[in-house]
Amino acid sequence: MLRNRLFFVLGLLVIASMVLSACGGAAAPAATEAPVATEAPAATEAPVVEQTSFTTPHPILGDLKVRQALSYCTNKADLIKSVYPLLTEEEQASLIMNTFIPRAHWAYAGDENVTIYPFDVEKGKALLDEAGWTLPEGATFRVNAAGDELALKFTTTTAAFRQTWASIWEKQMADCGVRVVRLHAPASWWFGDTTGIARRDYELGAFAWVGQADPGGQTLYACDQIPLPENGWEGQNAMGWCNELASSNIKLANNTLVKDDRIAAYTIVQQEFTKDIPSIPLFNRTETFATAADLTGFAPAPGQEYYNYNVQEWAKAGSDTVVLGFTQEPASLFVLVEDAFVANIAYQIIRPAQEIHLNYDFKASLVKELPTLENGGTTNNDVEVSAGAMVVDSNGDVVELAAGVSVINAAGETVEFTGGTVTMKQLVSRFELVDGLTWEDGTPVSSADLELGYKIDCDPESGATSFITCDKTASVEFLTDAAGYVQTWIPGVQDPLYFVPVWRIYPAHQLGDLPAKDWATDPRVAETPLAYGPYKLVEWVKGEKLVFAANEYWVGSAPVSPNFVIQIITPESAEGLLLGGEVDILASETLAGLNETLKAAEAEGKIKTFVEAGGTWEHIDVQLFIR
Amino acid sequence: MTAYLIRRVLQSILVVFISAIATYVLLSFAPGGPMAGLRQITQSGRFQITEEDIARIRASFELDLNLSIRFSRWLIGMPRGPVVIAGNEYFADVAVGCRKPIEAEVLNSRGEYEIKIVGCKETVYLKDLVGRRTSNGILRGDFGLSWRILRDRPVSDLIESRLAKTLQLIGLEVMLSLLIGIPLGIYSAVRQYSKFDYIFTTLAFMGSAMPSFFFGLLLILTFSIIPKGAGLPYIPAGLSESVRDYTIPMIGDVVAGSAKDRILHLILPVTVLTLINVAGWSRFIRASMLDVLRQDYVRTARAKGLREITVIMKHALRNALIPFVTIVVFTIPALFSGAIITESIFAWPGMGRLYILALGDYDYPVAMAIFFILAVLTVFATLLRDILYTIVDPRIRLN
Repeated sequence: MLRNRLFFVLGLLVIASMVLSACGGAAAPAATEAPVATEAPAATEAPVVEQTSFTTPHPILGDLKVRQALSYCTNKADLIKSVYPLLTEEEQASLIMNTFIPRAHWAYAGDENVTIYPFDVEKGKALLDEAGWTLPEGATFRVNAAGDELALKFTTTTAAFRQTWASIWEKQMADCGVRVVRLHAPASWWFGDTTGIARRDYELGAFAWVGQADPGGQTLYACDQIPLPENGWEGQNAMGWCNELASSNIKLANNTLVKDDRIAAYTIVQQEFTKDIPSIPLFNRTETFATAADLTGFAPAPGQEYYNYNVQEWAKAGSDTVVLGFTQEPASLFVLVEDAFVANIAYQIIRPAQEIHLNYDFKASLVKELPTLENGGTTNNDVEVSAGAMVVDSNGDVVELAAGVSVINAAGETVEFTGGTVTMKQLVSRFELVDGLTWEDGTPVSSADLELGYKIDCDPESGATSFITCDKTASVEFLTDAAGYVQTWIPGVQDPLYFVPVWRIYPAHQLGDLPAKDWATDPRVAETPLAYGPYKLVEWVKGEKLVFAANEYWVGSAPVSPNFVIQIITPESAEGLLLGGEVDILASETLAGLNETLKAAEAEGKIKTFVEAGGTWEHIDVQLFIR
Repeated sequence: MTAYLIRRVLQSILVVFISAIATYVLLSFAPGGPMAGLRQITQSGRFQITEEDIARIRASFELDLNLSIRFSRWLIGMPRGPVVIAGNEYFADVAVGCRKPIEAEVLNSRGEYEIKIVGCKETVYLKDLVGRRTSNGILRGDFGLSWRILRDRPVSDLIESRLAKTLQLIGLEVMLSLLIGIPLGIYSAVRQYSKFDYIFTTLAFMGSAMPSFFFGLLLILTFSIIPKGAGLPYIPAGLSESVRDYTIPMIGDVVAGSAKDRILHLILPVTVLTLINVAGWSRFIRASMLDVLRQDYVRTARAKGLREITVIMKHALRNALIPFVTIVVFTIPALFSGAIITESIFAWPGMGRLYILALGDYDYPVAMAIFFILAVLTVFATLLRDILYTIVDPRIRLN
């Protein structure tokens, strides 16, 4: 009896240990750092509030000379070298950031139009002397007239990557006589809703932003986007930087759709940004790819959305199959609900996007042209809007127009609707697919397929996360003489990416009758979607591989390699499988960076590596005011 | 015996039930989940998350239901709506969850602000469950739909896709480990302090101490990458089969997916697992045998003039195997759960990787299914062990 009880207790203990191990496993990812925060370029405008806090300039960082000195004392090349030691000097230099826009971006002002702070310790020291921070004889750190030491708290995450470059930066600052006290905080605190950056709880703070095709930045650098207790901590301008010229131009850039005007406005913002230094831009992170030495056609580019935009050009010498290694299996190919990067990469192979997104810019792919204001494909009409109509208000929210609603009128002024009508801008774009686009079963792609895309993507039963595009759509008229549609946005929508195709293409002849609620679970949608792209999906062996074959109906040139396979591997096995010839390509979602193994294999001619400046960039924000 | 078995089966059911509740509750309170990071999703003009979006997504994962209701639906697929008796609905307006909780920023005892749920804006009633998708319950063999790994498709599909590979790998490894480990342990015990024993003991300690990830990488380098680079015969570095045909010097052409290809891919992971297991198990058998060989009844058997082989195999081994039964029966849950590290090193598509993925990706329906099956198998193995004791040791009675 006693033994039975003992076994019973032991059984419980086994279960408990399994449970506890489960908890450990589940909790771990939550502790990992969200690698980057993402810029929020939505056009929002905070209500005017009376500022009573954060009005006192920071006693040290409030002085421009100190900020300039910190910039001159920062050796960005050495910081890059510390985290990317295997890159060539040229590659390392290509990563240096001068402003808040990557140098490869179309909106970058150009080196000649911004203030650049090259590494110059002597200049930095001189500026600190001028600012009243002098170095007593024999001392390591500077002091002011009152004898206070020049010490700054520097907060960032616990990520090994940041620990590495932060320790170098600490040394660089010490060389200029600045004591940097590093605080490596958990990401949950640093990026928390009510802690860290959100509460401006730092003096110097490092993290990363993601550069996007549209620079946005309105919520980052506009004067009315400074988070304060008085406005409920709304806004992302946690530095507290308010430069009227920059602020008005960042708004201008976000409220015009003419690209040249936007570039001019962004240039002014970057000039002011580099003069005032509310933040020290450091460097782009890299994206690393490795392929078999005899693989051709693989050409990743900076600022790209999907590196397989030209998958039909990839080929491996002496083989009819190209193998791409994935460390994460796509959960579904219904990318409306499953938007993981790997799912999109796999989806692109069978259903390429209608536009190609490279070098932070777009070009037409499966549409005849991107309808811009310049080429006449889009018109931005003045329309009279009255109460009851759906509009985008001045905060960027979709609302029903009623008295008291604040909108931006056709003249670009923010006005409060009081009744009657108000004249607003309304975008209308015409998208037309290229001729000859055909499903893998031989059925031509038609407007009905786009109409199904609109219907499903806007059906709440489909499982989609966001319906904001649907909410901002006034009407869609599908063409009868070609595969395409005319997209009419509701008044007030002035999205700078208005020219990007809106609706996906789904096979109406196959799935037209399938209710939206069943799409996520239907294998024809999630596992074996029909292709109109260069390859069609032949087989998906769960946990192992996705096998593709050339689609004979593809409208473009036939794929060079007749077969394509996505092989599911593990991070631990990835490099071994590449070197062993089991996979041909490891991409940036698998490779954390260039390492000794890859470098040595490349030197031996076994593989090729590609290192591109990624969209993500590191920077040190400066707190300009104290509470 | 029958009464004992009935009692043990009932106890086992209770243990499984308690473990299911405990696991479900703990996973429900674990950080992360499908809603994690949703608020941080890009707030661009083309992608904004509204309160209604969040409510809808919570509902799709049943996170808007009370924990007890969620557990009940996971276990038995009920409730699915009001109770209907003779055409009349009962309990339709019983609150079973909250669709839109009210969150507020509150100051906690540490003086920090945190967001807490302070009320409910929109309640979910029993009648709202009508038409909602749900599984038939794990007790009826329906593990529900995967949240992440195989989004919105059956968990059973996912387990099915991995189970065969795991059974192949672990089954072969267990068989080889028994075939090699037991004779090695016996021989080493019988020849205690011989050269063989010293060498074997040293190797066994090394095998036990060697982490499988290191051992795996070592084998990949030694038997795959280096010989392949040198144009020598090699063994594939990983995966369960190749994607394209290949040629190995001296072995010849190998067709991708053929039996030859699959056997070649099994060699390295099975070797790692077998050697590590052999090291441990043979040491166990050796120690157990040494204990038994010193017993009086073994001496008596020898004194009776029995052949040494009979003494060892019949009188010593049978008794030495009793504690070993415990180890062997617990390979049953291991057959299902796979080998996490080895599967990762060799990119083997088995249950071990699925288990880690399920936890890492917050795919709790998958994790719960694995936990539940493991709990059942563990309890079953315990019961089996007790029954096996009576067979290998006649002195033990199950009453």
